[in-house]
Amino acid sequence: MGTETVPATSARPAADAARIVLEGRITAFTAAPIWSAAKDALARNPNRPVVVDASRLEFIDDVGIALIFDLVRQPRPAGASVDVQGLAPKFDDLISGIDPKAFAVEPKTRKREGVFEQVGRATAQELANAEAMFAFVRECGREFWSAIRRKSSLRWSDVLDIATEAGANAVPIVLLVGFLMGVIIAFEIGLVAQAFGAVIFVVNGVGVAMLRELGPLMTAIVFAGRTGAAFAAQIGTQKVNEEVNAISTFGLSPIAFLVLPRLVAACIAMPLLSVLADIVGVFGGALVMVGFGISFMQFYTQLLGAIDAGDFVIGIVKAVAYGAAIAAVGCQRGLSTGAGAISVGLSTTSAVVTSIVLIVVIDGLFTIFTS
Amino acid sequence: MAAAAPATTSPATATPPAVSVQHLRMGYGSKVLLQDASFEVQRGEILVILGGSGCGKSSLMKHIIGLYQPMGGDILIGGRSIVNATAKQHAALQRSLGVMYQSGALFGSLTVLENVRFPLDQFTDLSLDEKNLTARLLLKQVEMGAAEALMPGELSGGMLKRAGIARAMALGCDILLLDEPSAGLDPITAANLDRTILSLRESLGFTFIVVTHELSSIFTIADRAVMLDPVSRSIIAEGKPGDLRDQSTDPRVRQFFNREPDRAVHTAST
Repeated sequence: MGTETVPATSARPAADAARIVLEGRITAFTAAPIWSAAKDALARNPNRPVVVDASRLEFIDDVGIALIFDLVRQPRPAGASVDVQGLAPKFDDLISGIDPKAFAVEPKTRKREGVFEQVGRATAQELANAEAMFAFVRECGREFWSAIRRKSSLRWSDVLDIATEAGANAVPIVLLVGFLMGVIIAFEIGLVAQAFGAVIFVVNGVGVAMLRELGPLMTAIVFAGRTGAAFAAQIGTQKVNEEVNAISTFGLSPIAFLVLPRLVAACIAMPLLSVLADIVGVFGGALVMVGFGISFMQFYTQLLGAIDAGDFVIGIVKAVAYGAAIAAVGCQRGLSTGAGAISVGLSTTSAVVTSIVLIVVIDGLFTIFTS
Repeated sequence: MAAAAPATTSPATATPPAVSVQHLRMGYGSKVLLQDASFEVQRGEILVILGGSGCGKSSLMKHIIGLYQPMGGDILIGGRSIVNATAKQHAALQRSLGVMYQSGALFGSLTVLENVRFPLDQFTDLSLDEKNLTARLLLKQVEMGAAEALMPGELSGGMLKRAGIARAMALGCDILLLDEPSAGLDPITAANLDRTILSLRESLGFTFIVVTHELSSIFTIADRAVMLDPVSRSIIAEGKPGDLRDQSTDPRVRQFFNREPDRAVHTAST
């Protein structure tokens, strides 16, 4: 195929007309150089009539049709029109049916927002999220109260399935994270304490930190990334597939049907996982302390003097609060999912980020009120 | 067997058939959906693959596209095997096929125009203006010009399917495979879509392989139909839809075209 401009050999449409010959095959894969060469030929002959000779074309696809249409629609002065000759009738019909002025307006592109618009939109979105979250929590409370009064309405089989998936299946990762946290804390504090000859008090630090703070906190972060995200994605997909609408049209409450089992399961699984994290974390700390010359028996004796039931209970209460917050956020984001796969992704991301922020806020509140 | 036996060979022609399915055996795991299936689709022809739900129509289409590897047999696209192709040849053969999936399968993060432009962005050196013009002409051909700036989430089922056809045509593929184009559409939208298919074949000479069980659509667009049967796991009829309806002696074919319920259901309801 080639595109060339040659002097006109015929008297039509004008003696001085330029001629663009299109020949061979024009397809999506071959059109780019032909298209630019043809437009260059038009540009080189701005004031002369141009004949586009398409009689030697063997095949054109949609891109070829667009190419010829583009040549015809170019704005030209009077007496310098573009005339297509020899185009197969079936293609000619396609092109002649389109007004050359069509598509003069550039296609609309998505408007890029400025910084202030983005900040404003994000703020409005967060306020709307907060409002929706309060309404959601109120609705959950109402449904939970209703479930307590009518004991049969909570689906316990679902609760157990979800608790198994969210709790039992998360044990290996929680054990690993908890153990490493104990090791890291003991090692870091141990190095400092060694300089002051106070290595034995590292046991106090490890015990209190794991039971009150790090055990529940690290478990919650794992839980948010694993289970909170899963809740948002599951319910979000159900929303997109109109399963949530189907539940509503059966006269059932999506909150009671989808959310309460997850909330209860999370409130059961989180403290159990947190206890595991506490145990392996303290054990990891004990292993490190052996390296600092503190035997297991010394560690045990010191630990009993350093912590009390209150530390353990505070950790457990925190874990329940974290679990409830993570499940509530995951479910609420899932239920507020829009249309399409992208919305599910956004809901999932939002669920994890909001959960982690809430975990820190809740931890701060506990620190204030239990110190 | 119905009006005509499934063709296993074609008369010698200068150009190979657009698609040739030869002794295909396909399924999933140990489950066989179709065995020893052979048929050809000539260039410019509209072939409909039909059969009841679960008979393997969409799976057959996905095997033709090369998404799944068959258990046996061969599939030739323009005379070249997609089953035994190297990875590079396989990708090139797949690019020569335009596919519209059942839901349209538009990318949710792109506008309709950007969806149709997507293959051009990936595989051509055209400028943005040239690609936009091509995409807008394609959308006009499927009567979707007014929706170019909309997102897929804002489209109706029929619009999604038409935009899917426009995207399938973007690379100039002359073989288009459509999965259930009329399913779930109102009669007017379905008729418009049928008209679009016929018009594209008329103007651009496209070859169509259409998976459907919508009878009105089959009689409107199909030059030829092959019918799959889930029980015998084979092609039980091949020919012009009108001939299959009027002349077939196979009760399964008659039941399909006459929309008769299964005998047990029929007995229970009478």
